[in-house]
Amino acid sequence: MSGSAHPGRRRYDVIVVGAGMAGSLVAKRLGDQGWRVLVLEAGTGTLDTWPGHLDALDTFASAVAKVPNSPYRPNAVAPSPDVLDVGGLPGGGYRAHGYLVQRGALPYNSDYLRASGGTGLHWLGLTPRMHPDDFTVRSRYGYGRDWPIGYDDLEAHYRAAERELGVAGDAAEQADAIGLPFPEDYVYPMREIPRSYLDDVLAARLDGHAVQEKPGSAHTTLRVVTTPHARNSTPHEDYDGGRGYRPVGAAGLPNYGERCVGNASCTPICPAQAKYTPLKTQAAWSRDVTLVTRAVVSRVLTTSGGRARGVEYQEYDDPAAPASVTRTAEADVVVLAAHAIENAKLLLVSQLATRSDQVGRNLMDHPVLLTWGLMNHPVGPFRGPGSTSGLEGFRTGAGRRTRAPFRIVIANWGWSWPAGSPGADVARLLGMGDDSAAPRGRGLFGAALREELGRGISRQFALQFEMEQEAEGRNRVTIDPLHRDLLGNPRPVVTYDLSDRVKRGMAAAKAVSDQIFGLLDAEDHTAYGPGPFAPGHFRFEGRDFVYQGAGHGAGTHVMGASRETSVVDQWQRCWDHPGLYAVGCGSMPSVGTANPSLTMAALALRSSERIHRELSELRRPLTVRTAHAPEVRP
Amino acid sequence: MIPELNRTALEDESVEVPPPVAGFIDISERLTGFEAFDLYATGMAQLYHDTTVDQVGREAVGRFIDDMAAAGGDPDRLVDETSRDIARAVTHLWYLGVWPALARSVHRALGREKANVAFTVAPEAYPEGLVWRTFHGHPPGAKAPGFGTWADPPPGAPPLTPPERAAHGAGGAA
Repeated sequence: MSGSAHPGRRRYDVIVVGAGMAGSLVAKRLGDQGWRVLVLEAGTGTLDTWPGHLDALDTFASAVAKVPNSPYRPNAVAPSPDVLDVGGLPGGGYRAHGYLVQRGALPYNSDYLRASGGTGLHWLGLTPRMHPDDFTVRSRYGYGRDWPIGYDDLEAHYRAAERELGVAGDAAEQADAIGLPFPEDYVYPMREIPRSYLDDVLAARLDGHAVQEKPGSAHTTLRVVTTPHARNSTPHEDYDGGRGYRPVGAAGLPNYGERCVGNASCTPICPAQAKYTPLKTQAAWSRDVTLVTRAVVSRVLTTSGGRARGVEYQEYDDPAAPASVTRTAEADVVVLAAHAIENAKLLLVSQLATRSDQVGRNLMDHPVLLTWGLMNHPVGPFRGPGSTSGLEGFRTGAGRRTRAPFRIVIANWGWSWPAGSPGADVARLLGMGDDSAAPRGRGLFGAALREELGRGISRQFALQFEMEQEAEGRNRVTIDPLHRDLLGNPRPVVTYDLSDRVKRGMAAAKAVSDQIFGLLDAEDHTAYGPGPFAPGHFRFEGRDFVYQGAGHGAGTHVMGASRETSVVDQWQRCWDHPGLYAVGCGSMPSVGTANPSLTMAALALRSSERIHRELSELRRPLTVRTAHAPEVRP
Repeated sequence: MIPELNRTALEDESVEVPPPVAGFIDISERLTGFEAFDLYATGMAQLYHDTTVDQVGREAVGRFIDDMAAAGGDPDRLVDETSRDIARAVTHLWYLGVWPALARSVHRALGREKANVAFTVAPEAYPEGLVWRTFHGHPPGAKAPGFGTWADPPPGAPPLTPPERAAHGAGGAA
């Protein structure tokens, strides 16, 4: 399955660039059908073994800032952006260093991971489906871009993705509470992940109550709804027509990780591997799939007629040293699956798919507004998966005409995201601020410290308002020959901002949050202002806001109905280049409010079918091909 | 080389072997509000002692011990800012497994020849942080309590009666 050999001289049916979630799924499907697949991964494969996984756990434990990329070894040759690369300035504004070059009014405040397994190593593992309305935002609500396909076209692939990823959820509740269409009697492979005690407290105080975004606007009734997860739970005996489902455990350790045990560290790493990662898909690859790690694809190669014919890549040994050997590999189909930003970078470097002028544009994320407070009794934070339920009532509806819709995530991990708890609580009570140059407070010690910490942290909870960001041409990835990485490859240059539509959505979200805190009888500790930990600070209509990134980069090789206005077609084929596919969130014309990985997986599985057909057509016996009418030239 | 055993001392039952880093633990009890028994049970006592000596030097540790004695063992009565910042740092270390950056003025006053940056002293230190115990929690990524345990009310929280516990979301649990 893995190869240290130099495959450059062999010809493959398919080359997949990137061993993350989309690439691993495409390779799995095509390998299962007997196609010879070469997967080239820019990063290392250190987590492919159980000792490598344990090493990542140690790295995580040792990290002072336990950010999403913290368990994974830095790689100077194939660098990744990190959320620590972006910092706020005292008077507002931000400063960025690191891999991404940032030129926007506001920062692109998200990371991704270049390693075998990709960002799917550190994702949270939530797998809600997109809402049917999300596919037609332009025609229905007058903003952003429509998809060339709809929910119905993807439904079967959603189910296929839910099998591949191993999803636990309550389909009947999703249908009832959100209005998602499922086939009759559909159940997820596993029963829902149990709700946290915090979810139950919120449900008891919120369910059935109505809130308003502003005085005079329509009422929205609140309801706490469990969230589908790609995380092992109790198998559902009714799944697959009563055939049931066997959870997929850890990659590299048999009979382990077949059920979530509540480590409460899904992001950045699940120690039990009860959470889906692409390594599980890789473990099931057929022998026809060859993985080469430490292979940075630097260019896509095409024939003079514009058809994809292979890639050029730089193979290296030491992730700390910029010494590499340049090789080429050839195949009939090339699939870019390297993340939205890396896919766009590769197309730009290769000067491909230029016709629509859309490569790199329409960069989207889910900007997240956090609110946080203290409940009037302990709620048991820092337990269980990062979130087990949400409030789904703001994901679509008439409000969407004027402001971004949002999904409200109930956060089980206290103030860890908004305030750096509990480390920041310890430091604050000891009189230590963020700045070691600032004078320190007297500090609290002994039993007083212990009791005060317990009293505060035990009552912490937070809400995450994940805003839809619409496709905008001005939010984009470009390259600049002046900014290169150690191997000489251009670094992505990102220009990013939030529209007033998104900012209005945040204002509405804050108004909703205020009413929720009132219903909960909770102390609101939400505060927004500029500072080193608030690079996402901005002012809007006289008020301060701070947003975070969700790590959901999308839109940069946008899918559409016309070759004049989009980069890929509904199969994620580049309009301009037969044999070249760009798969992943980069294809999404709109992202709705659902965490995007499940939709990305569904799209990847759908494209795999088209690639299989394309390869089958290419491999038809010669006699069949010559039966085509000869080309008529004028 | 194995040092020559002092047989007389070993055989003489009147010679008491003190517990390891007893003075450090004594002070740490006052700093953290946790008892010696709990502090030893983290397995980190020797490492935290050595880290403290390594970070601020024997002299400063000696003055800190003297200042603590002069304050009657009450860290809140420490007057000297260097000793007070060492108290903060050692407490931070116990609660999080992380040696913090010292106040810049204290860093300068101590003439330290190392970077004034926070670091986790060992991967094992993180899950042993005392902070998790202040609210009956466990460190994320370690000591996993088991499937579905997050649905239980924590100590001090009211249980939710059946009408408040929704029909959905039990995950098939009884």
